[in-house]
Amino acid sequence: MINLKGIVAKQGGFTLKVDSLSLSRGELVAVLGNNGSGKSTFLSVLSGLKPFRGKYILDGREFGSLPAIERHRLISLLPQQSSLNMPFDVQYVVLTGRYPYTDGRGYSSKDMECTEETLRRLDIYHLRHRLFNELSGGERQRVLLARVINRDSPVMLLDEPLSGVDLRHQHEIIDLLKELSSDKTILLVVHDISLAVREFKRFLFFVKGTLRYDLYRENLDEERLSEVFQVRLRFIKNDESLFVYSEGKNREAL
Amino acid sequence: MKKAMYSLILLLILMVVLATLKGAVSIDLFHMSNTERDILLFVRLPRVMLSGLVGSALALSGLLFQYVMKNPLADSFTTGVSASSAMGAVVAILLGLGFLIPLFALAGGITGLVIVYKISSVRGRVQPITMLLAGIVLSTFSSATISFMKFLSDDAVSSIIFWLMGGFQDASVKKVLALLVVVMLSFLLVRRHYLGLDILSFDDTTALSSGVEVDRLRKEAFFLAALLTAFSVGYAGIIGFVGLIVPHVIRLMRFVKASELVPLSILGGAVFMIFNDLLSRTLLSEGQELPVGIITSSIGGLFFLYLLIKRKRELYYFD
Repeated sequence: MINLKGIVAKQGGFTLKVDSLSLSRGELVAVLGNNGSGKSTFLSVLSGLKPFRGKYILDGREFGSLPAIERHRLISLLPQQSSLNMPFDVQYVVLTGRYPYTDGRGYSSKDMECTEETLRRLDIYHLRHRLFNELSGGERQRVLLARVINRDSPVMLLDEPLSGVDLRHQHEIIDLLKELSSDKTILLVVHDISLAVREFKRFLFFVKGTLRYDLYRENLDEERLSEVFQVRLRFIKNDESLFVYSEGKNREAL
Repeated sequence: MKKAMYSLILLLILMVVLATLKGAVSIDLFHMSNTERDILLFVRLPRVMLSGLVGSALALSGLLFQYVMKNPLADSFTTGVSASSAMGAVVAILLGLGFLIPLFALAGGITGLVIVYKISSVRGRVQPITMLLAGIVLSTFSSATISFMKFLSDDAVSSIIFWLMGGFQDASVKKVLALLVVVMLSFLLVRRHYLGLDILSFDDTTALSSGVEVDRLRKEAFFLAALLTAFSVGYAGIIGFVGLIVPHVIRLMRFVKASELVPLSILGGAVFMIFNDLLSRTLLSEGQELPVGIITSSIGGLFFLYLLIKRKRELYYFD
């Protein structure tokens, strides 16, 4: 689905580098790294919001040669932060995710049906007539995620979709993403390493703007993870599950 | 939406009929003398049409400025386009080229717009806050220039002052037709972008990743808004508050999508302005007229104050 070769994107003094990466349909990939390591920039480049050099093949075609509308039908992005300064209700916010399928003047009845289904899927159907800006942070996050899912694009890029969401809904969202990823490529930025290691199979680790490691769960180890996050990390194996905890930065010295 | 639309259309028709028949001379539609018929067809009707169209143009331009700047208080004044249009018009008065006022206003408005646009865009992207600041600077500068021109020319002062207060005394069929074309064209262009305008209310990253060509849409809306303003100022002088009041009232009636706001603002602007002009013609006795800008500003200002105090929280959401 996505093939990258020698991608370089510069922004001010920051440089994002991805030497080589290939992602296929049916994959749910966690993107990890410290603050400022380039995770969000990476998603911006993939969604076409930032200029880059290098080779980017999307769905078998050169990214630059795809018409803008086609790109947005193939890729949807959940930005890390969003704001809205009109009193739109939840249903309309989710509906606007269907924009790339419209003529710019109105939404079709199919768009309406998809929206209703998405609202139910994300357990926000009961909120549909509430104003978006009157919701709690976690509810807003779920609405924005629904907006992205409503696009039903083959590639979904989610920048911290779980932040501010309560545990119950975190798990519901993860289950939903697993289900959706059977025929999609989903990348999500997560900060909770413990959760990521338990729930996902493939991991991209960014360090200082560079894609440092591309690992499957079985190849994870304490050394490499500690290097990426610059804290001492320990693994605890318990039957089949893996737990990760941090010993903090200074423990190593003690 | 349908209900509001039909009510406004009905109200508009009612207002047009009322405003055409009432005035310094009240006309009985069924017992007209020739003079009265001439007044009706060649004086009243163009005037009512022009006031309606200027109301629509100002309301639509205000609404567009609000979308472009993501600011509920934006309109042709805060961008400085009104003031720079007026400056152009005053230059025309000063040069004794009264018949070229609309053209000069257009030139002034577009010049002001380009200046504000150049200052506020960074690498082709309009920065809303900078644009607002540049607009304030432009307004102040234009007002100062107008004052200076008034100071320079004693004999033109009264005509400048009168023109600045705004009004529809010089309505003509030509003006009506020209403005009709501008308003219709703007409406048809804006209609193609209803959904995009709604998505502009999100942050830029969300809008861009939704597939909206944010910068292009902003530029288009911005230029249409300036065009509408320049024509209004050129034909009727500076008339305040319509671009702020009308879209706000429509929003407060819980119409928040562009597909509702745009047509309702166009209709509402027309109704509001025809009503104001009718008041300006009939409040004083013996055919004396109040400048319409005074009425819109006082009705509008009071209403706006009421909204700010009573319904502050519902006006808009800001993060």
